[in-house]
Amino acid sequence: MTSPKFKLVSWVAQIIAVLIMGQTLFFKFTAAPESVQLFTELNMEPHGRLIIGALELIACILLIIPSSIVYGALLGSSLMAGAIIGHVTELGWQGDRLELGIYAIVVLTCCISTIMIRRRELPLLKVIHSDKPTKRGRRK
Amino acid sequence: MSTKLSINLHKLARFTNTAIPVLALLFFVGGWQISFYFHFLTVPFLGLTFLNTYYLLGQRNHSLLRNFGILGQGRYLLESLGPELRQYLYSGDTEERPFNRTERREVYRKANNIDSAASFGSQNDFDATEIKLRHSLFPISKEHVLPYQMAFGEERGIQNAYTLTVPFIISGMSYGALGQRAIRSLARGIAQTGGLMNTGEGGYPKYHLMEKCDLAFQIGTAKFGVRNEDGTLNEPLLADLAAKEQVKMIELKLSQGAKPGKGGMLPKEKITAEIAELRGVPMGRDVVSPTHHSECEDYPSAVAFIRRIQDVSQLPVGIKLCIGDPRQFAELVSEMKRQDSFPDWITIDGAEGGTGAAPKAFIDRVGMPLFPALKSAQDILLASGARQRLKLVASGKLINPGSQIIAFCLGADAIATARGFMLSIGCIQAMQCGSNTCPVGITTHHPRLERGIIIEDKALRVANYVHSLEHDLEELLCSTGARSVKDLSFDNLYVPNESTLYPFANHN
Ligand SMILES: Cc1cc2nc3c(=O)[nH]c(=O)nc-3n(C[C@H](O)[C@H](O)[C@H](O)COP(=O)(O)O)c2cc1C
Repeated sequence: MTSPKFKLVSWVAQIIAVLIMGQTLFFKFTAAPESVQLFTELNMEPHGRLIIGALELIACILLIIPSSIVYGALLGSSLMAGAIIGHVTELGWQGDRLELGIYAIVVLTCCISTIMIRRRELPLLKVIHSDKPTKRGRRK
Repeated sequence: MSTKLSINLHKLARFTNTAIPVLALLFFVGGWQISFYFHFLTVPFLGLTFLNTYYLLGQRNHSLLRNFGILGQGRYLLESLGPELRQYLYSGDTEERPFNRTERREVYRKANNIDSAASFGSQNDFDATEIKLRHSLFPISKEHVLPYQMAFGEERGIQNAYTLTVPFIISGMSYGALGQRAIRSLARGIAQTGGLMNTGEGGYPKYHLMEKCDLAFQIGTAKFGVRNEDGTLNEPLLADLAAKEQVKMIELKLSQGAKPGKGGMLPKEKITAEIAELRGVPMGRDVVSPTHHSECEDYPSAVAFIRRIQDVSQLPVGIKLCIGDPRQFAELVSEMKRQDSFPDWITIDGAEGGTGAAPKAFIDRVGMPLFPALKSAQDILLASGARQRLKLVASGKLINPGSQIIAFCLGADAIATARGFMLSIGCIQAMQCGSNTCPVGITTHHPRLERGIIIEDKALRVANYVHSLEHDLEELLCSTGARSVKDLSFDNLYVPNESTLYPFANHN
């Protein structure tokens, strides 16, 4: 089992990720000029903006429902990885782009930390990690 | 030339391990030069690349993943599906253990009141191992079979002797091993038949008491419910429990077939706040009972302790044990004679018995199987003249009439079964009793899994199961010409030469 201390860390990370991702949704769904500008540069306007917005919304929801947290973190980190690729290849880091890029990195870090802490909840790894160590402790 | 299609898994794994990063790179280029949408593929493949790199280079625990990477994961997946696949698809009807499909189906049918008549013939092996019942040339009809009655404690002439009227006892399973709904289903069902339920070593039997059935309270080696701080018997607590209307008898557990010589075990996954309180144990740690009662250090002290419990409780008191060496059992019986003090019954639990959790070596290798143990015990008790001083109860895979009648012939006065009753309330033998994940909600405290159990409905199945067992027992008795189980004996058995009972048989 994940220890309570790590659980707390994970929840803090989840909340940060949800807050940052969540507030950008507003701009995406209301077609704020900055957002439209970004997605125009990526050649994804308007469908890409809406698809990514929807996926981010799903990630936010999954991140706060206890049984689906790791899935939310997986989705969130994938989206942020995509965003970072965007900054590297098209958008650059000038001006407020720097701020957005840093946000993406922060969310990515939060999501990855969550995944690491909750790795035992991942379906594939579960098979390997499910065995319970003896009281003598798991030998390293 | 061979036309067999074969896949070289080593090559395939190497190919996969190269293909994943290459694809990630290709998609990246695609996303950069063609359309940003390609990155929907780049990102997952990057993820796979990282995971695979971790498998191949990072982790050190799993050789297969180190050598083959992500494809090796497939093996773990398939292996984890194996038990289910085998159970549903590939195992024959008489193949599985502990109970094969034929045996389980018989219980399910009884529990649902479906006729268990079979057609065409037996699927069992008739050659060398199967014990058979010798029927009489002159069977009797049902009116001549006497109603079952077994008075526990009559030998001592105590006031609170208990008359058992249903020969099938629900063997000890604690609240802890079972969830509350399972306990209540069993208790309500057995109450409808007027039978007896053993509480198991789970401390104060809160949920057992709810359904107004007759109870035998079990004292395990940790004495949950009746213990002092130091693990010795707390007499006032025991007297209080024994004074309860529903508590009819007390069973002192010396050992249990699935783990003789080892105390009970409750994994921490299954310890809720309530269970911790009822047992007086901490949460978050496996609870392992001591290997023995501190009061029972040798033969004299063990016999004296049994008498002490009889004195304190004023009820019939039995002991439960799995026999390791019949000579030790004989020694125990002769100590009873020396002190002229006998338990009111002895439950012989066979090594094949079930458990919520026990070390594999104990489940598989420790203790004598029921039939030879029961036969030895019966012979020892008869030879020493102690047999009229007590009753004998047998348990260990006695879930169907065919095996139960054998136990009666070997000397049992009543049958106890745990797993038979579990099957009757829907156990599918998923074998996860220790992990709190029981898919049918019996051995779990997870509300979402317990939800599957509708107490009223399951109680009915328990009653059906009991009635159906009684019906079959009666028919089997008719076939032997015996009017009650007391008339059965070893001579009613045909014992083939590869049976564990063969050494006891007169070979003629
Ligand atoms: C889930 C489970 C819990 C059990 N808990 C106890 C217990 O608390 N005390 C005890 O003496 N035996 C316990 N047993 C053993 C049974 O009472 C019984 O002796 C054994 O399973 C043999 O009967 P069976 O083959 O009909 O199941 C438990 C068995 C199971 C399957």
